[in-house]
Amino acid sequence: MKFSYFHLMPWTDLTEAPTQWPASNSTFNAPRAKELYDSYIDTMVFAEQCGFDWVGCNEHHYSPYGLMANCNLIGSVLTQRTKDIKLAMLGNLIPLLNPVRVAEEYAMLDVMSGGRLVAGMIRGVPHEYIAYNINADESRARLREAVTLIIKAWTETEPFGWEGEFFEYPSISIWPRPFQIPHPPILMSASNEESAEFAGEFRAMMGLTLIADLNVARRSIEIYKRVTAAQGFEPPPSHILCGYNTCILDDDAEARHYLAEGQRYFHRILMASLRDAQRLVITKSRYFGQEKIGETFVKRLVALKERTIDEQIEAGSVFCGSPENVIKQIKRVHGALGNGMFNLNYKIGNIPDPIVRRGMELFRDRVLPAVADL
Amino acid sequence: MFTTEHAELTTGPITYRKGGNGRPILHIHGTGGPNPSPVLDQLAQRHTVYHPVAPGWDETPRHPSVRSVRDLADVYADFIRTVIGGPCDVIGVSFGGWVALWLAVRHPDLVEQLVLEAPAGMRDPGTGGLPKDPAELRRQTYARPERAPPPARTQDVYWVNRNLRDELGGGITLDEDLLASLPRITARTLVLFGLKDEISPHDKAGMRMRKGIPHVHLTYIYDAAHALEFDQPERVGNLIAAFFERGEGFLVRSSQAA
Repeated sequence: MKFSYFHLMPWTDLTEAPTQWPASNSTFNAPRAKELYDSYIDTMVFAEQCGFDWVGCNEHHYSPYGLMANCNLIGSVLTQRTKDIKLAMLGNLIPLLNPVRVAEEYAMLDVMSGGRLVAGMIRGVPHEYIAYNINADESRARLREAVTLIIKAWTETEPFGWEGEFFEYPSISIWPRPFQIPHPPILMSASNEESAEFAGEFRAMMGLTLIADLNVARRSIEIYKRVTAAQGFEPPPSHILCGYNTCILDDDAEARHYLAEGQRYFHRILMASLRDAQRLVITKSRYFGQEKIGETFVKRLVALKERTIDEQIEAGSVFCGSPENVIKQIKRVHGALGNGMFNLNYKIGNIPDPIVRRGMELFRDRVLPAVADL
Repeated sequence: MFTTEHAELTTGPITYRKGGNGRPILHIHGTGGPNPSPVLDQLAQRHTVYHPVAPGWDETPRHPSVRSVRDLADVYADFIRTVIGGPCDVIGVSFGGWVALWLAVRHPDLVEQLVLEAPAGMRDPGTGGLPKDPAELRRQTYARPERAPPPARTQDVYWVNRNLRDELGGGITLDEDLLASLPRITARTLVLFGLKDEISPHDKAGMRMRKGIPHVHLTYIYDAAHALEFDQPERVGNLIAAFFERGEGFLVRSSQAA
């Protein structure tokens, strides 16, 4: 079993929820943000010492939800402050971006890290399409063309032009090309049937986040395996990454308390303005090709928000408690899903960084030794 | 817009379609025979487009002296001198791309700029090629079958054309002599491949031409298979028009582009 340490880099100091999307940045404080970046990056570097296989981050826009408009900038810092841990950009929101720029930046990260990049090719949550004014109806078609182009840019050894539906380039020849041959491993979201099929089509690793129901998650994994099998490709368990909000402390009650407080801030403050924008995109565009998938997406967010910590543990949605109980929870989910990798997010909402670090130490000393051989 | 005309070349008679007005373009068809396409119509708005029927194709008389791809290239050279009257831009499609490459190698003075659409003669043995099954052939030819033209000839005529192609091609998939001769091409060249092309796979063939031809651009057409002019007529037409009209300047995006 492998583990990834994931960070959203949330803004922790809001006292009131934004009333609409995008969130006003009037209360933003740059010196405080500098403190947060320093602390967050230190924690991500610390993940290597705690036995994590990957350290990951992602991209969000116009929101205190996450302070990484471009996670590659954080990845660049990590190339210099870590030695062996894989750097998982989970990832760049490909349909919103210039795919050649993504190919170039990812190649830089791969070379600077000596071949440690895991390249997330993510479609992005719905509201990001408003932020960058990209037609949400085209999200999947743009993703397909852009990923195809990025792989070409990484692997071609002579200049080439590109004439596509969304992208046109008269001549491409990126410097550097990636360190890993033929190219860095690719990870795609697979939180619903549509996206699981898409990840399988590209033989990418699949990532599942915000698991509300283990049966639904298992169904996505089955679809992914079916699609890859039809293509003659049998992904190993390490190709299946499941994301979990995690709080490990010495005492169960203490862990529940901090996770509940962090989730309260997350749902009531950080997610407040995003929900309206997400609903707007889902109802006013064809972001989800199938209507029922859009409904499932909204229901899942609501379900996760309304459950108690105990209910979330029971549903297999979070890992929370003492090391001994978290070991049991990890084994249970692994038994249900058969995945080979977990992506653990410790910084939920405004959980204090010392609590996060204590959880990482407990993971290193008492959890990992018991689950590494799963 | 296009008219059908006839001419007498040194080696025999030839039939061709001609349309438009302006700087001349010679279009060399592929294995199946000439297929009028939206791209030809677009080019004919600013150029004189010559679209000959290769001797022996579509029930036209064979030229007894034509026994190889090189011989056929010499026929087109004769066509340029006799009918067009001087050097011109050339488009070669599939098998016609193979012919056009030899034309550019053997008669560099007659080819000003060269466009190759999914050219043959450059792929590894055992890769690509034309399937015999009609349904499979259609699947591999068109990524967008809804844009395919209606059949321009009967199956019997198609197979006469195809057998003639096989005879002239001599069963070769990778023309080593041509590969060694690519550095002799002086024409600025644009090579186009569809990313879904299974008949002329782009990977090695594209790299061979990219490395061998001195002044060359290689462009991939997304969501296109072998029949580029039908799968993506707008993209291909605009690209070829820009290349022919602006030369190296086709690389520059500009509102001042002609």
